[in-house]
Amino acid sequence: MTVGVMLAAVCLLQVPAAGQEGRKPYVEARGSVVPVPLPPGGPPPKMSDGHVDLSGVWFPGPTGKANAWSVLPEQRPKEDPIPFQPWAEAKYKSFTRVDLELGSANVNCTPVGTPGMFTDNAYVHQIDAKPGQFIHLIENNNRWRVVHTDGRPHKKPEDLEPLFNGDETARWEGDTLVIDSISIDERTWIRDGWFHSDQLHVIERLRRPSLNYLEYQFTIEDPKVLTKTWTSAWLTLSLGHEDLTENFCTNNENVEQLKKLLDQQKK
Amino acid sequence: MRVTAGITFCLVALLAASPARAHHAFAVEFDASKCADLTGVLTKVSYENPHAYIFMDGKNAAGEVVPMTFQLSSTSNLKRGGATYAALNASVNKEVTVRGCLSRNGTDNRYAASFIKLADGTIQRVGQDVEGIFGTKVWR
Repeated sequence: MTVGVMLAAVCLLQVPAAGQEGRKPYVEARGSVVPVPLPPGGPPPKMSDGHVDLSGVWFPGPTGKANAWSVLPEQRPKEDPIPFQPWAEAKYKSFTRVDLELGSANVNCTPVGTPGMFTDNAYVHQIDAKPGQFIHLIENNNRWRVVHTDGRPHKKPEDLEPLFNGDETARWEGDTLVIDSISIDERTWIRDGWFHSDQLHVIERLRRPSLNYLEYQFTIEDPKVLTKTWTSAWLTLSLGHEDLTENFCTNNENVEQLKKLLDQQKK
Repeated sequence: MRVTAGITFCLVALLAASPARAHHAFAVEFDASKCADLTGVLTKVSYENPHAYIFMDGKNAAGEVVPMTFQLSSTSNLKRGGATYAALNASVNKEVTVRGCLSRNGTDNRYAASFIKLADGTIQRVGQDVEGIFGTKVWR
């Protein structure tokens, strides 16, 4: 028995049986996914310059496949609370669920920005890395960014302009790619209503500990909104073997429907 | 030893957080407590993003045939889950049953769908598991 088969068998045992915890009997349906994590798969490949090659098609989660219809509960990492300044905490807590929907880039089909390509994106990524350059494509509304990885400085302050992805530059710290972004358009959210100022500074870290896994972490500095620097948990993505598919947002009915709901709630 | 390592890796991998966020929270727009199996004739498939839609002439509680609209997932999720454009269109002009949850804003006969029983009998996922009927991934 191979390690992979053993892992699959072990993981299948983690799936709760129908009827547990008082739930209704499950419906067997095509498309439901029992998540089986990929094995590590061996060491990560290297680029010609000796750095780890981050290239690949990457799915959120450990299965190397789409997991939107997983039969396991979504796991959220343990992270420190967001260290909002008091005024920002009050504003953040004032958002209703409808407010959060109507302010969401994904509901409005607007750019998710940095770090939203990782934090506000449930779909697949494609990374094409080569010495000196990191090319990041996501299926979600066909978004992309290209970042130089030679450690060049940011633009001069007088040359900066607000951009959804920000002014980005990257460098290698050992086997970790560090992407540093400033001058990020204030219309984006970090995630889930977490708004920011024009002083936002995002430091993203990407590493590939093995062939099949990519890990992502981000740090937020925002002296106008936060009391101190905040760093996320390491998030897991895994190597897929599918092409990205076209996903243009062209028929968005949700905004109109949610505004109708909001009007009703105000009455 | 290998089994122990496998269990450890599996648990670590499964518990490692998925960074994925859903397109948006279903339950804000649709009412997970007002879901029903609705049967009728599938009339049209709109295979678009951010959500696909299907349209059905179905019977309401009074037994009248009315046009119904069902919001599905994105085409990305649909095609990866087997609900391809061809698979859905194969049931157009045929009888299907759709599990739909009613819109909260009062729009008549507008639902979000979690599965469709296609004309060939296949039960096909098409949306989020808001009722917990497929397992445990409940999007709220």
